[in-house]
Amino acid sequence: MTGIVTGGWEFVWAAYGITAAVLVAYGLRLAVGLRKGKEHDER
Amino acid sequence: METAPAFSPKAVRGAIAALGVGVLLLAIGWYVGLFVAPPEHYMGEVQRIMYVHVPTAWNAMLVLSFAFLCALAFLWKNDWKWDARLEAAVEMGVLLSFLLCVQGAIWAKPTWGVWWDWDPRLTTTAVMLVAFVGILALRHLVDDPRKRAVWSSVATVISYASVPIVYFSVRWWNSLHQVQSTPQTVDSAMVTPLRIAALGMLFVWIAFVTLRSQLARRRLAQELAPPPFTTATVAAGGEG
Repeated sequence: MTGIVTGGWEFVWAAYGITAAVLVAYGLRLAVGLRKGKEHDER
Repeated sequence: METAPAFSPKAVRGAIAALGVGVLLLAIGWYVGLFVAPPEHYMGEVQRIMYVHVPTAWNAMLVLSFAFLCALAFLWKNDWKWDARLEAAVEMGVLLSFLLCVQGAIWAKPTWGVWWDWDPRLTTTAVMLVAFVGILALRHLVDDPRKRAVWSSVATVISYASVPIVYFSVRWWNSLHQVQSTPQTVDSAMVTPLRIAALGMLFVWIAFVTLRSQLARRRLAQELAPPPFTTATVAAGGEG
């Protein structure tokens, strides 16, 4: 037992991947909402 | 009559430009943090989670502080644009706080040996998240725009008390979570990508809050619009 963490890249990728995926999904949701609103205004 | 704030295409264009800057800065900060910055002595590669976790923490607190200011501004000025901004900021604050908890759990597992621990920092963060989720639920459940705006503004002012408690929890109580780092306690090779990523996330949430508040403005305009003028035309003898 050295108290030093070795490896662990899978945790790093998981943290970045989940963050990026959630931010992209939220951005897409906003884009869809704005597009729907624009289409509604044009009608 | 209540006047809803107008939808602003100019604000949408500005937000898209800010989003572009934010994504670029976030990409640079994350790239340097992942591939250029040195690994930390004890945590090794796992410490690279810092470049996503700490900017998320800083910005979650910033956006919730902005929500607090929006709530005060609405209660003070009674202007609907602040209600739209409040809705957007609380939603963004919940999103970043949720990400903060997930990233923290992912970092905790290889370093603490557990995904979650009911220590002061984690517990107060969970309470903060639940409080602001409650405000979103309140806004979803109340149909009357005025009641919704006033109640959620008051709830935001009260719930905001949890934000400084989260920040100071590591100093006030004996927490498993480390106390805040400063540029003096972090190697300069780690500080630069941390700041770039934090700035990138700041631009991203400003863009998202601007876009989301425009959606809220559009909905408010429909809710506050006077009912359509209807005429009951009775055409006497008009049939047949």
